[in-house]
Amino acid sequence: MKHLVKGQGFGAVIGVVLMLAVFSLIDASGWWTAQTMSNVIHYTAILGILAMGQALVIMTKEIDLSVGSVYGLAGIAFIMLQPALGVAGAILAALMIAAAIGVLQGYAVVRGGLPSMIVTLGGLFTVRGIIYVWTGGSVKAFPEEARNAFVTRLFGGEILGLEAAVFWMLAVAAMLNLVLWATRFGNHVLATGGSAESADSRGVLTGRVKIVTFMLCSVLAGFAGILTLADQPQTHVTIGDLMELEAISAAVIGGCLLSGGRGSLTGAVLGAFIITSFRYELIALGAPSSWFITFVGVVLIVAVIFNQKLARMAGHSV
Amino acid sequence: MKIAKPLAAAAVLATTALSGSLAAAQESDDSYRFVMVSHIGSNDPNMAWLTLSMDEFTKRYPNVQTEYISTNQYSIQELVRLLEQAIATRPDGIAVPIVSSDALEGPLRKAIESGIPVVAFNIADPRPKDERIPYLTYVGGDEYLTGQELGKYALEQAEAGEIPMPERVVCASHDSAHQGLKARCAGMKEVMEAAGAEFEELFIGAEPATARNTMQSYLQANPDTNYIFTVAPWSAPWAWGVANDMGLDPDVDDKGMTIITVDASPAALEGIKAGHVLASSSQGFWLQGYAPMEWLYWYHELGYTPQSDILTGPTVITADAIDHWETMVRKVFGDVYDEQNTW
Repeated sequence: MKHLVKGQGFGAVIGVVLMLAVFSLIDASGWWTAQTMSNVIHYTAILGILAMGQALVIMTKEIDLSVGSVYGLAGIAFIMLQPALGVAGAILAALMIAAAIGVLQGYAVVRGGLPSMIVTLGGLFTVRGIIYVWTGGSVKAFPEEARNAFVTRLFGGEILGLEAAVFWMLAVAAMLNLVLWATRFGNHVLATGGSAESADSRGVLTGRVKIVTFMLCSVLAGFAGILTLADQPQTHVTIGDLMELEAISAAVIGGCLLSGGRGSLTGAVLGAFIITSFRYELIALGAPSSWFITFVGVVLIVAVIFNQKLARMAGHSV
Repeated sequence: MKIAKPLAAAAVLATTALSGSLAAAQESDDSYRFVMVSHIGSNDPNMAWLTLSMDEFTKRYPNVQTEYISTNQYSIQELVRLLEQAIATRPDGIAVPIVSSDALEGPLRKAIESGIPVVAFNIADPRPKDERIPYLTYVGGDEYLTGQELGKYALEQAEAGEIPMPERVVCASHDSAHQGLKARCAGMKEVMEAAGAEFEELFIGAEPATARNTMQSYLQANPDTNYIFTVAPWSAPWAWGVANDMGLDPDVDDKGMTIITVDASPAALEGIKAGHVLASSSQGFWLQGYAPMEWLYWYHELGYTPQSDILTGPTVITADAIDHWETMVRKVFGDVYDEQNTW
């Protein structure tokens, strides 16, 4: 039991099991349908990719508030650059823009010694401002031939009846889990967040580790934006608005502790699943959809308390 | 009756503005300078409706100089700053949207007391006439009527067998605090509930993926929904996309889902043209630039003060008149028209 509890995503697993049990009791016929599952899993995939990036940053004891704006900017870049660069070129350019933002923010945090909350809050506003300026505050069309291009369908189409985003999320999760749990870099990420001084003394380049995680976080946010727009290429200046809060919530519900050094990528995806599922169920139960944000706040607080208790049970000092 | 009066005033106004009457008035020796202080900045293509109509006005009344000043920031403070700057230049008249009666009351009352006539456009002071800012008149649309007229049109089409009768109507709103959007939903609600349909307002937010997820969740939980009213034109393609993905046959025909939206924007017009959207509405933006200038002019020249608000809309836009609307909106939007077609 103790071994199971030690898993950082254990709290999220319990959350999912409880949630499914309750939903089955109150709304089995509405919840357990192929359409509901498809809807919930599709959005979980998008939010899950954002949440995994956020989880990596939180594991290093930092936070990234700019992911919603970066998600939006990369998506907008994909649409706006497509006429000049083609679909593949636009995707690459959008990811490079996202990576550059991540590196810049990471550099400001590490080299400037600034709190990541302030740096990325600045990033959130700056990037949102760029979206306004670039789009002129308006929506932009994506040509029909670009929508039907193979690369667009690869990211936004369907595979075996499921949205491509779901497979991309699974691929990203597998790859990042491998990196986190089976490579030196993954070890360094956890060491940096656990105790930067101790990690420094053992030769871990904690600054570089943090910059790389900020970059990964931005790239994943950008990638999620591209997946969204490849599926439904309808932009708006508000694209990604408040998604940073959902991503952080998903990561925290999934077992990431803001004190760093502990977290779970799978837990972050499960956190995204919980958030998305509750959005559906609240609407299904007839609650005003604006209650959703209240729910996220309550679950977030409950999850933090629960995850801290679990961590203490597992012998961690948090 | 309450509605007929301002609509009639708008009709008369439009006729006189566009047909060439009152020609004698333009022979006046007096010259004037009118300023429109606007929240619609150069980043919003709708600005062109206002600036083009003001250009038309100055061609017709060459003794009047008009100025359009606006902010690209969605900021009431910035609008108040622009308004105060405009008042300081002592113009002969000001047209301004009452985006916040609290914020604009002080400077506007001072301007009016100092003898500068003011016309509200696009957004009225919502308070009763004896409590509101004492401007000459309001020239603009009526959001409640927008929902109501679109609802009536949909019912006519349903009764004619062109689309299904409404069973459950969802009003998809991106801003739960926006009084104008709430009024649009309320107008639609009155008509639909009177026709025996269920009605619900759904806050979808303005983030596209979240909005789609919210709409999809609602449609799954409420499978009897067969009308979606999006209170912004850019969310109509989102609604259609969700319904289409769910196999709900959202095109305009006698089965499945029916989508209704607002605005004479490229997304709305192209949606109607493609058979995805039943109808949209225009709030008469062109008149909202022209008519405030004329009333300011007539106030100076003839001493006229309108006794009611002047409604410039809604005009229901349907497939029958889509070519006319497309031609007109293309002239105003230019190349941006195609860029904004997100279908």
